[in-house]
Amino acid sequence: MGLRILIADDALFMRNMLREIFVKAGFQVVGEAANGVEAIERYHELRPDLVTMDIVMPLKSGIEALQQITREDPDARVVMCSALGQEALVIEAVHAGAKDFIVKPFMEERVLDVVRRVTKSQG
Amino acid sequence: MDMQKYRGMFLSETQEHLRSMARLVVTLEKNPTDREGIDSLFRAAHSIKGMAASMGYEQTAQLAHHLEDLMDGFRKGGAVSAAAIDRLLAGVDLLEGLLEDVAAEQPEREVGAFLAAAVAAAEKEPVPLVPAPTAMPATPLPGRGWPLQVSVELATDAAAPAARALLLLRELGRLGTLQDSIPSEEELRQGGAVRCLEAWLLTEESPGRIQEALAAMAEVERVSLAVDRRREPPRTPRREEGGRTVRVRTELLDRFINLTGELITNRYMLQTAFRETRWTEAGEALEQLRRLIADLHHHVLQVRMMPLESITGRLPRLVRDLCRKSGKNVELRVDGEEVELDRTILEELADPLVHLVRNAVDHGIEARGAISVRAWREKDLVLLEVADDGRGMDPVAIRRKALEKGIITSAQARAMLDRDILLLVCRPGFSTAAEITEISGRGVGMDVVKTAVENLGGSLDIQSEPGRGTRFLLKLPLSVAIIQVLLVECAGHTVGIPVTRVLRTLDVAREDVRSSGRQMVISFEEEMVPLLSLRKMIQLPARPSSGGSLPVVVAEGRRRKVGLVVDRLVGQREVFVKSLAFPLDRLPGLHGATVLGDGSVIFIIDPQSLLEPRPGAPVFRPRGENS
Repeated sequence: MGLRILIADDALFMRNMLREIFVKAGFQVVGEAANGVEAIERYHELRPDLVTMDIVMPLKSGIEALQQITREDPDARVVMCSALGQEALVIEAVHAGAKDFIVKPFMEERVLDVVRRVTKSQG
Repeated sequence: MDMQKYRGMFLSETQEHLRSMARLVVTLEKNPTDREGIDSLFRAAHSIKGMAASMGYEQTAQLAHHLEDLMDGFRKGGAVSAAAIDRLLAGVDLLEGLLEDVAAEQPEREVGAFLAAAVAAAEKEPVPLVPAPTAMPATPLPGRGWPLQVSVELATDAAAPAARALLLLRELGRLGTLQDSIPSEEELRQGGAVRCLEAWLLTEESPGRIQEALAAMAEVERVSLAVDRRREPPRTPRREEGGRTVRVRTELLDRFINLTGELITNRYMLQTAFRETRWTEAGEALEQLRRLIADLHHHVLQVRMMPLESITGRLPRLVRDLCRKSGKNVELRVDGEEVELDRTILEELADPLVHLVRNAVDHGIEARGAISVRAWREKDLVLLEVADDGRGMDPVAIRRKALEKGIITSAQARAMLDRDILLLVCRPGFSTAAEITEISGRGVGMDVVKTAVENLGGSLDIQSEPGRGTRFLLKLPLSVAIIQVLLVECAGHTVGIPVTRVLRTLDVAREDVRSSGRQMVISFEEEMVPLLSLRKMIQLPARPSSGGSLPVVVAEGRRRKVGLVVDRLVGQREVFVKSLAFPLDRLPGLHGATVLGDGSVIFIIDPQSLLEPRPGAPVFRPRGENS
């Protein structure tokens, strides 16, 4: 019953790291996106249970992608990934409908904790 | 029913009323139609009457009843007559006397004569008539469900806490109707370091469900719920000092119970982790224990905290009486009465504060002037200032006087800065009653004030110029028992220095040490700071000279910075300071002792008082030997 997750991040390194964390926890990574446009496309195509969305990405930022996704699917579970010091962007993302956020550097436990909470409390 | 067990509560509560009564009367003297003041006085007298009657203290009850009647008359009349002010104050004094009797378990003194005189006086005087305003009707809040006040504390290391708080608000919005929050949603959108979120919610969900939902969110450290107090009629905040009873908000008690529960869970976690030798989990449990203890400390401290008002409350009356006696006209202004301090500190501070204000009226202000008592928080300190706009102090005269008295040598007199000179008035024996008014005037009891402040781990500073007033500044810690100390090592002994005394720790390279005359100095923040050996100060053998850098603790000395050379800086620790018993308490510079985690006992020293040699005083040696 693996949770189906889409990872959107322009850095392969981050995508791999998140993938490893999720796979180890028994979740299913159904797709990856390297920019905001791809993230929206993959979301429509795959309808994942949860998206981890990097804030700063080329073509379309994570926040723009989030806005578009939640406009069409207000229940979409999007968790933002940010770096330290991006508080203003995180606030904007929360305002735009992000269900939660995680801050880099990623600690395995925190990431899983947030994912579990989001899928539990709003599922 | 045995009423004796309520005696302590009666005493503390009545004392509290009396303090506010004295203050209210003085306020009414200036503003006789202050409706709220009249009502408060009436209520205070009424409460005392009820309590005293239940306790069977007839004289007290009679007098309170009389004062209540008097105030009721003014309520109807709309103003307090000038003649009544003195009667009211005399009544408050008499009530104080009655309380002393009750406290000493003596029969109450008689009030008959006072009542007779008061009645006779009242008959002569007509009461002015002003229509009384009608009371405001209470308006209930519209909405559905029950009102809850929700407090959420975020983890200290929470990233983007404002965003986290916004998520919490959103969750609260799903659980009920969010009415208000601090910080508000708009404020949170500005970002910033948010640690606590308070929200007011109307909800049909059970409190348990709300607690659960919020606690399930990331980076939430604690959730507490209370019935929304804003819907109840407002009550005046009331606290008391002294006595044996303390009033504690029930939310605080709830927190203690919750914390106890968490500590019990924590104990099981630790037990399991140790039994199964799972060290990662043990480490996590210890980290949790650290947080729980910090929380407990914080909340226990809150129980001990009282507003400064509990000791400034008597100042208006004091100034009024002093003015009466001296014929001076002094305006008193008190600010920051809501600032809170540990009750022990307040108790120790009460007399010094009276002293400073009395001195300001007696010796600072000439014919008319103003005194300002002001308190404010600065980080972990409370600053208390007593300032007057009177004649000020003359360093030239004080310098001369100190020389005459042999308190300083002429070499010292030349070297000392004016600021240090002013502090000489705090030396015991600087001034005697016969010569107070002329030159310095401030010496009476100033040694007592300074000692009291320093015993509390605080410091005293004086700023003054002839003709430009005087300003006493007291820097006080919030609490006395648990403090942060810097541990340093000296000849194999570890000693602690309160961090409130430490400006900086440095590693000074040998080549940066310069000599100025016979004194070794270093340059610190563009200032030449003398280096002193802590070993020498506490009479330990001198350190054999060696290469390498010198660990130095820069501390605030007597108005001047000093660099204390130690063998090694060990680190910072939070410690529980135990006060010392005789004969150790006689050693100047010794602030207390504490037990470290490994069981060793260390002394806490106070560099400021260590630097102030008192003739004939015994000397502190950590070894405790006399050889």
